[in-house]
Amino acid sequence: MQDDEKNIQEDAKAQAGAQATGAAAKLDLDNLDLTVETVEERISPSETNVFDK
Amino acid sequence: MTDFPITLAFPPQGHFTQPHLAIPCLVAYLRQQGFEDVEQRDLSIEAYDHFLSKDYLSYAREKATARLPLDQSAGELSYKEARAFRAAAETAVSADVLIERIEDAKATLRGEACFDTDAYVPAVRALYHGLRLVSAAHFPSELTPHNFTMAYSNDRSADVQAAIRDGSQNPFLRYFRQEVLPGLVARKPRVLGLSIVYGSQLVPALTLARLVKEALPDCHITAGGGFLAYIGKKLMAAPGTADCLDSIIFHEGEGPLNALCTALRDGTDLGLIGSLTWFDRGGDVPLVVEPRPIENMAMHPLKLDDAPAPDFEGLPFDKYLSPELVLPYDINRGCYYGECTFCTLPTVIGPGYRTRQADTIAGDVVALKARYGAKHFNFITDCMPPGMIQDLPEALIAREAGVTWWSDARVEPRAYTKAGAQRLFESGCRKLLFGYETATPRLLKLMKKGQSLKGISEVSKNCADAGISVTWYAMVGFPSETVEEARASLEFLAQHEGIVREVSLQTFHIDEVSQVYKEPETFGVEMIEVEGADLALYHDYRSSVGMTQEEAAEMFGEMMAGFRRHLPIFAGDTIFYFMQKSHYFLHLASGTTPDEFAERCRVRADERRARGAQADLRLRSGFTVQELPFSYKDAVELLGHPLARAARPDFLTGRFVANAEEEAAARLAPLPRAERVLAYDAENHDFVELRPGGLEVVRALDRAGDFGSLLEQFDAKLPGGPERRARLTHFAAELHRAGLLAGATTQEPVPAGSAH
Ligand code: SF4
Repeated sequence: MQDDEKNIQEDAKAQAGAQATGAAAKLDLDNLDLTVETVEERISPSETNVFDK
Repeated sequence: MTDFPITLAFPPQGHFTQPHLAIPCLVAYLRQQGFEDVEQRDLSIEAYDHFLSKDYLSYAREKATARLPLDQSAGELSYKEARAFRAAAETAVSADVLIERIEDAKATLRGEACFDTDAYVPAVRALYHGLRLVSAAHFPSELTPHNFTMAYSNDRSADVQAAIRDGSQNPFLRYFRQEVLPGLVARKPRVLGLSIVYGSQLVPALTLARLVKEALPDCHITAGGGFLAYIGKKLMAAPGTADCLDSIIFHEGEGPLNALCTALRDGTDLGLIGSLTWFDRGGDVPLVVEPRPIENMAMHPLKLDDAPAPDFEGLPFDKYLSPELVLPYDINRGCYYGECTFCTLPTVIGPGYRTRQADTIAGDVVALKARYGAKHFNFITDCMPPGMIQDLPEALIAREAGVTWWSDARVEPRAYTKAGAQRLFESGCRKLLFGYETATPRLLKLMKKGQSLKGISEVSKNCADAGISVTWYAMVGFPSETVEEARASLEFLAQHEGIVREVSLQTFHIDEVSQVYKEPETFGVEMIEVEGADLALYHDYRSSVGMTQEEAAEMFGEMMAGFRRHLPIFAGDTIFYFMQKSHYFLHLASGTTPDEFAERCRVRADERRARGAQADLRLRSGFTVQELPFSYKDAVELLGHPLARAARPDFLTGRFVANAEEEAAARLAPLPRAERVLAYDAENHDFVELRPGGLEVVRALDRAGDFGSLLEQFDAKLPGGPERRARLTHFAAELHRAGLLAGATTQEPVPAGSAH
């Protein structure tokens, strides 16, 4: 009985651990495309009336 | 004369950081002449403030979503579809965040936080993106902090007339109807004066004018300003104008406007008012045909020294998007030099050169400071003659004006000496903008600039040594200029790194008043006339030598890239300080030296580049994502291509270049389908593109809490070796650099290859 209790407790602990690590565990890092792209602030001739009067 | 209400308005779109000078000058003059009931409205800042509000952006989100569904099914994205795709993608990912944060962004720009770059840059981005949402709601119109364009061209009256009636694309129609017209109808002004200085104001101004004409048929609506000095005559002859305006005032407005108001009040003949072109509507017997414009004789300009200082009373100072007030003040009008073959400023402002005395200027500045508590001034001048460069600082110092100021300047080596520049600094001068144009002596001669490279070098250095920030105006694509010559301009600038802080670059345009237009053979160009462009001001041309217009547009890009390398303000997102009028100047005015500011920009860019993946990195608040069927980044780049840019009217010309849209559509390849994710957040306010795989990692990081926790889980569960760990760490560092992740504190980056 006591052993069972212990097992159950350990199971629960293990499950919680699995959930916590779940986020990372599901990541198949070898096959994920991790490209990050930003768009630089560009100035074009239509945006340069900064100093007109 | 309180029974003769007059309203003078500055229609959208102008700069949102400070008031424009035109209306305050006219108001001051009319009040001085005894008109007591003169109201002034800056409808440009009022409209910006209205559009950039929680309520309006909520309305814009609904309208944009309905107009521009994000189509997930298309096989490829053509150039012609790219603009709508971009607007739809941005709306989908950023609208909610912007609605939530827009008021904070405005508050940031109006307060002390404006001086904190970490707060400033995201706030400016939020305003830009807020305007993109407003634009998406009126697609394909585009309202930015610098321009307003529609699918209609400014150089065709039929287009302009259609634009002012198009409620789905013209945001100002609803705005004026709901927010401006009721007040005007209640006030019943006898005269409404509209100042049209920029091409971007033409459609908004006529939109308002038509509404007022309908609602208040007895109100005389007149318009004037720099842009109308060019096209006013054509506009008066164009169909539909008489439904909007009663008259146009050419060149300097004070005298004619006073005479017009007096004649309307007293019921005397409008035919005697100088510089006025007006519609004779037949008096008591209204005409059945469209009235013909009558052009009066020109009026002599004012003796400027007798003109009152501008009167800003009634402007909504609290609405401008700047932490401190910068008041414009005209020290002179016209250009004492007036020779440059590309320049038409002297034509626009009316005949001759007029100036106020240095002592008058200093007295006015002291009075304006006392009246409005303004410590900063933008002196409006085409350029100061050498005598004034010497006298003005002495007068300001003698009066202990205690102000800072910036202005345009001409290269005058005799005046901008070491000692001269020092006195200018002592009088409060913090920034001067010189017409550099080009490093090629042959072109300087053709431009009749009357200056040498040695001269520009010398005055710039003297000013920089005195602590004055130096900006250069530069030009690319002057007729006959070659690619090598344009590169030489860049090279010469590179030699002045640390002296020149900003460059305002323009591509060359030919307008009808310029000498280039009048003598095309001298410049080796041949004009291309476009049929039906009855309001045309700018002309395309073929050049027998040198760069084509398209090559010049490409060169513009190359030169801007060069500026980013050589000018710290341009190097990263601090370029926003350059782009918002007076914002960099306000830093200088608060005591930061140009060197210190440049260093701050450098440090910021370096810090961003050096960002790593520290353990406490977390997702920024208000993080949102949108899955996309095409690459947003590629679409933005496609639209940034010189061919695509040429297909949109620019702020200067407001017109569509003939066949540019077809040319761009034919030559720019469509984008293939691609699974992409666009991300946005409420703190950094930047668009970042990820792949679905990246989003998985981002979600995992979010669930884990921070990057350190994610790594711990990863190490515990999948001790996949240093390579995988390095990939994860590299990704987090990139997200950090892109601004999507931020650390709670500054910490050491997590080592990439080892478990901890
Ligand atoms: S470019 Fe400057 S100096 Fe030359 S004519 Fe125009 S305002 Fe005068």
